[in-house]
Formats: sequence, structure tokens, C-alpha cells
Amino acid sequence: MNAPVELRARPSTADVAAIVGRLTKDFAERAVTSTAIREQHGHGEGMVDAALPDVVVFPHTNEEVAAIVRLCHAARIPVIAFGIGTSLEGHVAALYGGVCVDLSQMNRMLEVNTQDLDCRVQAGVTREQVNAELKGTGLFFPIDPGANATIGGMASTRASGTNAVRYGTMRENVLGLTVVTSDGRIVRTGGRARKSSAGYDLTRLFVGAEGTLGIITEIQLRLYGIPEAISAAVCQFPDLKSAVDTVIVAMQVGIPVARIELLDEVQMDVCIKYSKLEGFKPAPTLFFEFHGTDAGVKEQSEMMQSITAEHGGSAFEWATRPEDRGRLWKARHAAYYASKACHPGKQAFATDACVPISRLADCVLEAKADADATGLIAPIVGHVGDGNFHLTVLFDPNVPEERAKAEALASRVSMRAIAMGGTCTGEHGIGVHKLEALVVEHGEAVELMQAIKRALDPRNIMNPGKTVPP
Amino acid sequence: MLDQLVHAQFAAILPPAALLTSAEDTRPYECDGLTLYRERPAAVLLPENEAQVIAILEACFEARIPVVARGAGTSLSGGALPDPRGVVLSLAKFRRILAIDPLTRTATVQPGVRNLAISEAAAIHGLYYAPDPSSQIACSIGGNVAENAGGVHCLKYGLTVHNVRRVRGVLITGEVVEFGGEAQDSAGYDLLALITGSEGLLAVITEVTVKLCPTPELAQVALAAFADVEHAGAAVGAIIGAGIIPAGLEMMDQPATRAVEQFVHANYPLDAAAVLLVESDGTPEEVAAEMAEIKRLLAEAGATEIRVSKDEAQRLLLWSGRKAAFPAVGRISPDYYCIDGTIPRAALPRVLREIAAWSKEFGLTCANVFHAGDGNLHPLILFDANKPGESEKTIEFGDRILGLCIEVGGTITGEHGVGIEKLSSMCVQFTSAELERFHAIKHAFDAEGLLNPGKAVPTLARCGEFGKKHVHDGQVPHPDIPRY
Repeated sequence: MNAPVELRARPSTADVAAIVGRLTKDFAERAVTSTAIREQHGHGEGMVDAALPDVVVFPHTNEEVAAIVRLCHAARIPVIAFGIGTSLEGHVAALYGGVCVDLSQMNRMLEVNTQDLDCRVQAGVTREQVNAELKGTGLFFPIDPGANATIGGMASTRASGTNAVRYGTMRENVLGLTVVTSDGRIVRTGGRARKSSAGYDLTRLFVGAEGTLGIITEIQLRLYGIPEAISAAVCQFPDLKSAVDTVIVAMQVGIPVARIELLDEVQMDVCIKYSKLEGFKPAPTLFFEFHGTDAGVKEQSEMMQSITAEHGGSAFEWATRPEDRGRLWKARHAAYYASKACHPGKQAFATDACVPISRLADCVLEAKADADATGLIAPIVGHVGDGNFHLTVLFDPNVPEERAKAEALASRVSMRAIAMGGTCTGEHGIGVHKLEALVVEHGEAVELMQAIKRALDPRNIMNPGKTVPP
Repeated sequence: MLDQLVHAQFAAILPPAALLTSAEDTRPYECDGLTLYRERPAAVLLPENEAQVIAILEACFEARIPVVARGAGTSLSGGALPDPRGVVLSLAKFRRILAIDPLTRTATVQPGVRNLAISEAAAIHGLYYAPDPSSQIACSIGGNVAENAGGVHCLKYGLTVHNVRRVRGVLITGEVVEFGGEAQDSAGYDLLALITGSEGLLAVITEVTVKLCPTPELAQVALAAFADVEHAGAAVGAIIGAGIIPAGLEMMDQPATRAVEQFVHANYPLDAAAVLLVESDGTPEEVAAEMAEIKRLLAEAGATEIRVSKDEAQRLLLWSGRKAAFPAVGRISPDYYCIDGTIPRAALPRVLREIAAWSKEFGLTCANVFHAGDGNLHPLILFDANKPGESEKTIEFGDRILGLCIEVGGTITGEHGVGIEKLSSMCVQFTSAELERFHAIKHAFDAEGLLNPGKAVPTLARCGEFGKKHVHDGQVPHPDIPRY
């Protein structure tokens, strides 16, 4: 069972020309070969080196996606699903050329079932669009990665966000999928029932598979009632350790906080500048948000204040008005962009370590010391309530030594998390950048992943070169 | 009969007391909680450590002998039904709690540990394990993982798949593999979700790390009586639609309450057509606020009586009827058949109406107890297998209910698994494209098909045969499969 996955070479020029011709005929102006469009589709946000697809197609229906995949399957041409291009691990780079399937025009909300607390969306719908369209229903969808990503992309990378400590990740919030398989068939997994123990869990297998097992075209999402009361607060600390220890104690006590975000002094500094946050110092900071009834929120925040006070935290800076909360979380979501914007010309590796809470302090503090020792600028931000944090390791792409140093630091952060019983990726995924870390993390289980890849994509056409090592 | 050579191999791995081959020794293993089906295995093996499991699986792989893993034997779908050509691999001796980490809130246990024993061991830390199948006194965590078990509290706290962090298992080849990890997420394909609910077809589980939850300060349950089942169903929709996720939201209809009242004396209102049990947990302030809202919604939906538990003893008494529903029905009827279909919540009133009509048509009493918040039905069809034709009628009634569950967008099993029992219904729920994917995954783990053969996923040939008899909406299912 352990024969290596067929290594893929670029398809021949003649094969490429044939499929481009066919797609142009079938899709007219919705099949694009211009360099500008291909370049835009050859990389995500974190990817430093782009790899261009041969053609980009913009399907509108499940059947059109299936037709494209059937053509690629017959001709053994790589097919790469593309949402809005905000992934950080090189997921969309067309390493072997081929056809990029851009799902952004499949952007309809198909149904909202308020009584069942779920909705069905096409893969190209963005997370902000979901919540905009839910306006007035009293419901919301909580998963919020920094970028305004598409739901298809978020499902494919098993994305998470600032709310995961209370609401879980895409793993917990996708109820079912429509997937186009590698041979171009349309399969529906899961469904509207809240639970099922019939058959293997294909839904969760496709969630996080990064387009390597099939293309997700529709997603059934779990929704939540907007809490009766929401309030957010900011608390600043004398040092990083005090901030992290606060989080650990809060989790241990079991305060059902909805969001708890850590920003170190470097990150806070760029966020203050980029998002014009007033009244804050560039010091280690926690952002909190409490959800519940009026009484519940009051109780949670009082408990939290007593813990922060014990750890030398400042008085809470409250944001109870929706617009103030919005500004605060917008600043948090823009952290990655802030880090890049404040250091023009630099590029970034975003690490994604996630460890058991009991190891969080060790992992964050060692990463910080490690980053300081390299002399690189590496702001830290994280959804620390679930043990997940990021270093945005900045480097000058024109200085090879700096890039090597940055890459080595990012790799050490991953390895340290794995050694502590955690993972190299809490939410960004594997893509091309973390293949080696995956092997360290999972050992024997990687062979099973390879076997599954071969079983569901025997021709290795679905986003080849990603997620599982060859 | 076991091949002599293989017997010698097993005898070299296990002490004599852990290798059962005589008819009287293997008889207790001939069925699980689904007693309709019985098979005698060639041998029952009772290893006590992972090295023995590895050696056993290597020997079975070598000799191509089927292996059926077994926990506590409480499966309701025949998941642990033996294969007459093979061995039962019992994990009953794997009963140690290996570690409890109160900070990360996890417990690492061996697969034979009982579900409830985890919560008991975690109680001193103020923690508990949330999924609570009704059989939690007896069922083992390894079996819970294999079946993706649910329970009353899964509405708020999730199924087994949401509450497991890491599983260690042995493949049929004897290789040890770890699925998932200690952190909230784990890189790569979600093998942990794949192994959860795989019904022993992919690997033998030897260790499980589960998530623990803080024990709520307070839990209260409200009992609401309704004059008809549809109003009760509508109340469920109203509560969830208001954005409230109660800790438990269960329904029982009149045949069910009448059966359990004789058994547990919980003082259920017997004149009510349906009863809802709604639980709220959290801090006293949260519970008070949520309970007030729940009571308002229940009254608005037409509840004729609402009672809220005043203390823990009352709460447990109100729940005792629900938890004891199966044995209670067992007392009043010679046989019962439990169905596990799950539907979108909004379809609840319609499905209940149709079940009531069919109950009259078939002349069979059907007691409904179910996880209403999840839409997970457990209709219990009461029948007497000794009356000619009644078993057949029961199965037809059950098939109709499952067909309706699929029609309204649901599934044939919410938490009991497919096992041997629902193989044919799988042909109705899944297309051949989906079944092919299932077989491809099985092949990636166990190409020889030795682990729990004949369960969970029907062969395409079986679906072809089944399709001959069952025509749905004028369409033969799986028209692309050759007919034999």
C-alpha cells in the first residue's frame, strides 16, 4: 500500500492547448488565459513564489465544475480550486500548471433555514457576505479568519478564527457538502440532519483536504443565534508571560469567553499605527469578547477582571457599542496586513502553531525568545484560548540570508509545537509549505493519508503537490 | 473451527484463559444489543495489552482471518456481530484510565473503559465527559468512538466526534497509527473523523484521548405536557429557532410515557399526548434567564402543563424515565424494534404525523422517544415475533419510516450506526458514487476486507439486488449498477 504517489510532470504543451481550446469553446469569455489573470491566480497571500495555471475558468454551477473536472480527468491535467486567493500556505499555486477553477462567481446563498439554524451556500460566498445576508434573521455565522475568505476556501483549509474557543472551527460548523470528485461526479455528503452515523465521515474528510480529494462547490453551514448581550474589552499587561498566564487561568476556570486574542507589543505597535487605535500602548495585550445573556456577560467579565488584575493587567477598556467593537475586531483581523504595511517591501511567513493549553506559555515564550534572537521582526498574534497563535515573520525577499533565517524560524516554531503534543497548523493548512512538518507530526498516519489520496484521486490531478507529501 | 496452526499462534500470544474456543465459552459473544442476529465466532480473544493486539492482528492478516473488535457489546445495530469464519477481538481487559489532564481538560483512557467511568474519574477536577448514550453505565469508550455515539446532551455538547482529540489504533497489518493529536486541531486529512464512526472497519482502537467539559454549576430540567404531538414538535422548533441550544431537548409521546411511568414512577402527566424535557445548564444566573425564556416559549407553543425541577433529585427523576425508555418498553411488549432515523428539525411535525398514521395502518403500537433537538428519532415499534407475520410488518413499517427520513433530507442513523441492520437502507440513502468512495477508503486501510467484514457499507452488488425490490418515486436506485 506504500507505493509513492505518481509524481506529476507538467502536462505536454499539446495536451494543454487541447484543453484550453475546449474550455474556451465551452466557457467563452469565462475561460481566461491572459497573463494578468493567470498571475493573480498563481498565488495566495502568504505565497512568496507564484506558479501560474495555464487557464482560469469561472464556472457558475456544480455541473459546470463537474464538466471541467471530467475534461481534466480524461486528459490527466491538474485542476486547482480557487476561492478568493487569501490562503497563506501556497495552496493555490499551480505547481504543474493546469486548470484553475475560480469559484468566486458561484456566490449565491442557496437557502437559509432559520428554524434549523443552518444555511446552504455556494463555495464562492465570502464569510462577510454570509453575515450580511443573514441580517434581520437574528442568526450569524461565527467563523472569522483574518481575511474575508470564501466559505469554500475556509472549508478546504479547515479555517478557524477568533471565535473558535467558543464556536469551534470549520470542522464543527460544516454540516454537509456538495463535492465534485476527481472523476467529475457530483457527490453530496452529510446533510441537514444534525447528526449521522451512516457511512464514513466524508464531510470531515473533504473539510481540510485543500482541494486534493475533490472540489467543494456547496456547503451546509451551522448557524447560531446572535447573543442577547455582547461586550468586548481590552486589557494591557506589563509582559507577555502575564498575558499568556491570564489566558491559561481563564481557560482552567472555564469562563465561556467567546473570543480571547493575544497581541504582543510588536503586533500591538503596528496595529495601533495601521488601524489608528487610540488610547493604547504598544504592550502585550488581550482582546476579550463575552457573549450571553446580560447577567451572563456581566458575570463572565467580572470573573475575567479578577484574573487579569491578579496578573498585573490594566483596567478594562470597554467597547460595548457595536461600532466600537467593530473597530476593535477590524484592527485584530487586519493584524497580518498591518504587519506587512508597516514594513513596506517585506514579505512574510505566517506560522500557525497550536498546542494544548497546558503548554501554551512555554510555546509562546520560547517562540518569542527565538524570534528576538534572530533579529527579525516577528509580531505575535493569536486566538490563544484554543492554544493557537501566529508569528508573522517578516523578511526582505531580496536578501537570501534573511529569507533563509525567516524560513528556519518558522520551521522551528512548527517543530516546537509538534514536540509539545501540538500541531504545525491550527487553521492555515499544509499547502506546500508544511509538508515536512506534517510528516514529523503524523509519522505512520501520513502513509494512510497518501493511501486515501490515491484511493480518491488515483490520477493525482486534484491540486497536485499539496497537503500530502508525494 | 480455527485452523490448528492459527490456534497455536494465538496460544503463543495469549494465556489459555484469554483464548476462548469452546461453544459454551463463545456463546456469550454471539450477539450484541441487536439480538435478532446471532453468529458463533471461531474464537474469542481477550488481549490485555497493545503488543498482544498487534501480534493477533498480524497473525490474522497473515492467515486472512476476519476480525471483529468488541467493546461492551451494547451496539444496537449489530456492529459487534461475530463472523463465523473469524475471531472476536474483545477489548474488555483494556480498562485503565491512563491520564487526566485538568489543565488541557483531556482524559486518556483505554478503549474498554466505560463511558460513565470517565466522568466519575474526572469529577474531582470539576470536569466530565459530555456525550452520554443511554447505555453509558455499560458501554465502552472504544465502542462509542467506533459508532460515533450520541446521547441526550449531544445537542449542546456535540457527538463523540466533537469530543475526541486523539485515537491510537492498530491497522489489520499490525501497524500502530495515531489519529488526531492533543491540540485543538491537527494537520492534514482529518483521519480522526474518519476513524470515528467507522464501526471497526478501519482499525482496532487501543487508546482514546477525550475532551472533558467543566461540570455546570447548575442544571435544571423543565417538563412540558402537550395535548398533541404536533404542538410539541412545534415547541422544539420555537426553542431552537429562538437561538437557544438547551443542554438536552427530548420528547416522549403517550405510549412511551405510559410505558416508562409504570417502571420509574416519575409522575409523568399520562393524559398528555406528548411530553418534552428541556434542560438548561450553566451558572445560576444563566440558567434562570434561559429557563424563563424556555418556559415562555413552551407556554406560547401551547403547553398544558410546565414543571421545572426544584433540585438535583427531581431533575434525575424526570430524566430517569427518558433514560429507561428502552427497558421500560421491553417490559410491556414481547419484542420491540428501535429505529434511529434523523431528520431536519423543521420536518418533525410531518414525520410524526405520518408515523402515527402508519401505526394505525399496520396495527402496531409505536412509542416515540427521541432527541428532539437533534431531530434524532427513536421510534420503538412494539411487536410479538411469535405472532405470524408481525416481524415482517414491523420491518416494513421501519423501512417506511427510514425512507421518509431520507426523503425529508435526513439520515437512516443518527447515532447507532449501520452495522448489519441498516445495510440495505444505505443503498437508498447513498448514491453509487458515494458508496464507491466508501469502498475506496476501506480499501486504503484494509484492502483484504478483514476488519468487521459485511458491516456498515453494503457492496454495490447488494444494492443492485436490493434495488430490484425497492423502486422509489418510479426510479430504480443505482441505475448504473449492473443487475445480477
